[in-house]
Amino acid sequence: MNSQNIYLPYKMRIEKITEEAPMVKTFKLAFVNPEDESNFEFKTGQFGEYSVFGAGESTFCIASSPTHKGYIECTFRKAGKVTTALYNCEEGDIIGFRGPYGNNFPLEDWEGKSVLFIAGGIGLPPVRSVIWNCLDLRDKFKDITILYGAKTVQDLVYKNELEEWAKRPDVKLITTVDPGGETPDWKGEVGFVPSILKKASPKGENAVAIVCGPPIMIKLTLPILLEIGFTEESIFTTLENRMKCGIGQCGHCAVGPYYVCKDGPVINYADLQLLPVEY
Amino acid sequence: MNNYKLITKQNLHSFFDALQPKNTIIAPKEINKKYYFKPVDKFEDIALDYIQTVLSAKSVLFPRSDTLFNYHRADGDYNIDEPSPIEKNTIVFGMKPCDASSFVYLSNFFLKDYQDKNIKERLEKLYIISLSCKEADNACFCTSVGSNPASTKGSDLNLTLIENDTYYVEVVTEKGQELINYSADLFQDTKEIDKSKYIANVPQKFDVEQAKQNIDSIFESPLWVKDSLACLGCGICAYACPTCTCFDIQDIGSQFNGSRVRNWDSCAFDLFTKHASGHNPRPVQSQRWRNRIKHKFEYSVENLGLISCVGCGRCIRSCPTSMNIVKTVQIFQGV
Repeated sequence: MNSQNIYLPYKMRIEKITEEAPMVKTFKLAFVNPEDESNFEFKTGQFGEYSVFGAGESTFCIASSPTHKGYIECTFRKAGKVTTALYNCEEGDIIGFRGPYGNNFPLEDWEGKSVLFIAGGIGLPPVRSVIWNCLDLRDKFKDITILYGAKTVQDLVYKNELEEWAKRPDVKLITTVDPGGETPDWKGEVGFVPSILKKASPKGENAVAIVCGPPIMIKLTLPILLEIGFTEESIFTTLENRMKCGIGQCGHCAVGPYYVCKDGPVINYADLQLLPVEY
Repeated sequence: MNNYKLITKQNLHSFFDALQPKNTIIAPKEINKKYYFKPVDKFEDIALDYIQTVLSAKSVLFPRSDTLFNYHRADGDYNIDEPSPIEKNTIVFGMKPCDASSFVYLSNFFLKDYQDKNIKERLEKLYIISLSCKEADNACFCTSVGSNPASTKGSDLNLTLIENDTYYVEVVTEKGQELINYSADLFQDTKEIDKSKYIANVPQKFDVEQAKQNIDSIFESPLWVKDSLACLGCGICAYACPTCTCFDIQDIGSQFNGSRVRNWDSCAFDLFTKHASGHNPRPVQSQRWRNRIKHKFEYSVENLGLISCVGCGRCIRSCPTSMNIVKTVQIFQGV
């Protein structure tokens, strides 16, 4: 990749497509050019611009962990022009990717602490990258708790991985669906994420929380985290504003003087409160 | 490096003729009593007595639609190639000092973190000959944002008409000297002169530092709402603005061949911030107007140390509902 024209994408081959939930797919992507693969590095929490030639670019996090080498994954919901074009792609097709952009979750600061992951719906993909990154360095962290909720059982993404995490003795997984979203054989919780969090009340001391989901879930979850002992500095989220360039120039993601794409997307709750509420 | 020269209008014509064959010259041209920057190849086509062009000259650096790369599909793969670099230098001849100073902002902005390749190449090949203002109109407010009608900021050469047919020439940069060297004998050396009596009077309309204190500190306020009720969100202010840099990225073409392009965009648009989920961080027009004003006077100062408004007045002249950035700033100065 030419180092100067930052808009030139890497060419990626779709190795595998997984249908996660209605209108939600995961792509496993491999670099077409081996030298691109060997030069590529990213950290958990970073994102990229994925493109279908002729349809345009769309922004998603890298949903796989940097500890899983040789490929990247993205998970997206079919919503607009580009995600529809992506949704219609088949295994073997070539798409564009440029990145990684943005900052990352500060895993090295979390060593020796417990980690609580809270995700809602399609908010799990960015969190999943951090989950695998922590699980692959399992010895460095204390308790790992994952609280994941979706509207319905159907809407839960990464179902195979949820099963895998549920079986692990070193992970505590709580899954929940909104009231009415359960199926007869559903064994998880029923209720909204904030109330399930309150019920579970994992300890906030010497712990960090990673929260990602719909704005309303985040808004209602934060006060509970503070109640159970998390500090504003120990709660992290990743912002998801509309983006085009990824490098702090196109202006779309700007929240005051802060660019989600280059100053974020990862931000702790203390810093988040300094920004105008334009996210 | 300022040094000072004089040139007659007749010799300016000859100077143009010396520059023209080897350079692309962009200059203000009159079309139906309005002025536009256009490529010119004859000196006679240049308007030297205009007040302001409809659109700024930012497009020489940051075109309205800029090809980032072309792609075409072959055997299940894609070939990607970049547009070929421009060969000739570009000279903007007769840009007003406000516009010239916008290039200081634009180059800082586009080359700060990631050096934008297209813009860097164009900037290296860009020469600016500015023309001090003899006349201004009610929309002009350069003196309120730290400039003046004869400012040399951002210019390589600055021309000020001092007598009916003589221009005072300031050689501001090495690039300016390069231009002089095309035909140095057309110029006559002189001493520095006081330009103030030869230029337009642009009254100061607000105290930017004083206004900034309130613009910076006031976020939630009915003032923003009241002041923006007329805004249609049409985006013309951003299109006309010499320092608005926001853009969109789109593909033009099919899945088989086409181009990825960068197009001007505006924070006045509802869609500018709208998420795929339908959530919009700036759902109403007053929030978008607030963003525009705060970006110009607060955010860009925080990020680059520069106000991103040069006082050219284009947004005021072009607004279909008479929105007026000067009045907004005055309101905040008076709070």
